Amino acid sequence: MAMLNTTPPAPAAGNLERASFTGTASEYFGIWIVNVLLTIITLGIYSAWAKVRRNRYFYGNTVILGRSFEYHAKGLQIFLGRLIVIGFFILVNILSIIHPLFSVVTTVLILVALPWLLKRGLRFSARVTSYRNVRFDFVGSAWGAFVSILLGSFVAFITFGILAPLASRWLWRYIFNNMRYGDRPFVTEPRLKSLYGVWWLPALMVVIGAALLGILAAGTIAAMSAMSEDEAAAALAFSPVHFVFILVFVVYGAAALIYRIGVRNVVWSAASLDGRHQLFSDVPRWTYVWVAVTNVIVTIITLGLMRPWAAVRMARFTTEHTGIAVVGDLGEILSSIEATGAAISAEYMDMEGFDFGF
Amino acid sequence: MLRSVPNTWIWKGSTLASDEVVIARGEWHPANSSRSVPAALKQDGERIVAAEEAFVLVSAVPERIEFSQRVGSIPRRMTFPDGSVFETRDNDSVDRYLRGRYGARHGFIHGLERFHPRLIVFAFAVVLLAASIYRFALPVLIEVAIWATPPFVPEMIGSGTLASLDRTVFSPSELPEAERKAILEGFAKLAANSEGGEAGYKLNFREGGAIGPNAFALPDGSLVLTDDLVKLAGGDREMILGVLGHEIAHVEGEHSLRQIYRVAGVAALVMLIAGDVGSGVEDILTQGGALLALSHSRAAEAEADRRSVELMQAAGYDPAALARFFAVLEDKLGDHRDADIFSSHPGTPQRQQDIRNYAAELQGRPGAR
Repeated sequence: MAMLNTTPPAPAAGNLERASFTGTASEYFGIWIVNVLLTIITLGIYSAWAKVRRNRYFYGNTVILGRSFEYHAKGLQIFLGRLIVIGFFILVNILSIIHPLFSVVTTVLILVALPWLLKRGLRFSARVTSYRNVRFDFVGSAWGAFVSILLGSFVAFITFGILAPLASRWLWRYIFNNMRYGDRPFVTEPRLKSLYGVWWLPALMVVIGAALLGILAAGTIAAMSAMSEDEAAAALAFSPVHFVFILVFVVYGAAALIYRIGVRNVVWSAASLDGRHQLFSDVPRWTYVWVAVTNVIVTIITLGLMRPWAAVRMARFTTEHTGIAVVGDLGEILSSIEATGAAISAEYMDMEGFDFGF
Repeated sequence: MLRSVPNTWIWKGSTLASDEVVIARGEWHPANSSRSVPAALKQDGERIVAAEEAFVLVSAVPERIEFSQRVGSIPRRMTFPDGSVFETRDNDSVDRYLRGRYGARHGFIHGLERFHPRLIVFAFAVVLLAASIYRFALPVLIEVAIWATPPFVPEMIGSGTLASLDRTVFSPSELPEAERKAILEGFAKLAANSEGGEAGYKLNFREGGAIGPNAFALPDGSLVLTDDLVKLAGGDREMILGVLGHEIAHVEGEHSLRQIYRVAGVAALVMLIAGDVGSGVEDILTQGGALLALSHSRAAEAEADRRSVELMQAAGYDPAALARFFAVLEDKLGDHRDADIFSSHPGTPQRQQDIRNYAAELQGRPGAR
């Protein structure tokens, strides 16, 4: 397991406290299947309330220092937020049917609205989350969202991922450094060197995957385009050339997973609450890939019915590799943290916006 | 007679009457504070109180207390009008109290969710419903989406796809000018009988590079014909026109757009219904789906084959020319590498037969079936 050596060691100072996950697959299965059933029966409307129940289950079972998190959003809030976003897109569509010029205007409008929606979504998620009766808050700006999320992904994209660690740094600094727990700020300063430390392995995998693709499957895309869907699926499953496609897909998927979890480890381990209490994340990367890939396989071959088991398994795995090192007396620290004004009541005016689920 | 208040934030210190009933034990938080004291939730006559031993921390009539709904066995919260919160893990006791007060219908959703053989029935119902959504609701949704698509969308997809192919695999056609002209003339005759008319289509010649012998249609009516396909036809121009008729039919039937909507619709429905499918399955749905969106359904291929026969007939060409093309493909590419599409094309002999049958039918001769 030499590959694991880039996993940052847990900080030694303070009282190291690992989080734990207390949910079970059998309990979540009931919640999930009822969510699915009611979502279908209500033509999708229940999905907003389903989301609340799902998140309450996962937050409520994520325990650290003996207490769990709590998710406070109301189904109606999420439903209205979605209605507004959908209504906006219908309006945009109608306008662009009326006159093509509108489509130019609305494209600009969407580009302007997107960072704002991202910001509102992050703020909503933070404000409906609490721990020990104190809410989280998010104070990032729309401009910050534009630079760190949209510009960041663009930079990563046009440099073929070479600058991806830079984009990751922008993104996570935007998210963490604008996050508050009550009146206390979070700060993360992941070093670029550490981010490149978790970047080279997935980058190498992508290069190898591209080489494989280039050598063996140049004509396959064309082939796929001319085949019927069933045939494409059959060919993907059985023919040796198309097997390369699957292989490349798996290699790319694994590379993405390794990068994602590597960045999480670096970012969390560089983060602190209130300038003193060090967070940490030490998820073993290859085990993470194993858990993620087997989850997908089991979910697909059981037609989704094992999804609750997979979700609980993943939540338990990542939660147990996350924690905080508290400096000083816990009771004293906690009793000094108070909720701030903004996060207390504003929740009811907030909309979910886009839920990107960072 | 008040005992000294043990916690300074308690501002409602008073003793309880003696007829209180304990509902559940847990902890109490003052409003917006992380501090907590062990407390009991009690029923005191008409009011509910949170009390630390004999001292009332807060009290309210039950109607003004917000009881969080039960989800699994996560802690239950009771929020009092002053914002303070009583929290307990003793879900069953809280449920007993609420059922006693509001009747058995309380906690209906949680009742459904509990681990019970009933869940097997739910699972079956979900599988059945999901299958019927795919079978019946999805096609309707696709038609609605097609109807609502503004005309600039297919144009954008068409010009965007062609531009990116030009940048990556295509180079300008190397066919002789006369050859191109002859094909264009025949193509114009074919297109004249189609729904969009001649103006609805534009035929582009390209050297296909890695794509090899191929022809395809983009949703905006742009057709692409590769040099290799023309060479493969070996001077049989009708054969090429048969293929082009097939591609015109894909545009007429809006097959590409339908397929894109179908793939996107499946992904969106799965994500909406399952709520959270996990990032892995999400990636497969979106990226794998993008690959599938390039292909047509078998029904769309059959429809395009038949339409090619009709268009060829109307233009005065051999209606079964497309079948000849498939035969050539089988012949010439049959022993090539697997990467060649048609070699492993299970439907090809059947497709040729179907084309010939339909052509015969159109020409009013008895079919060869």
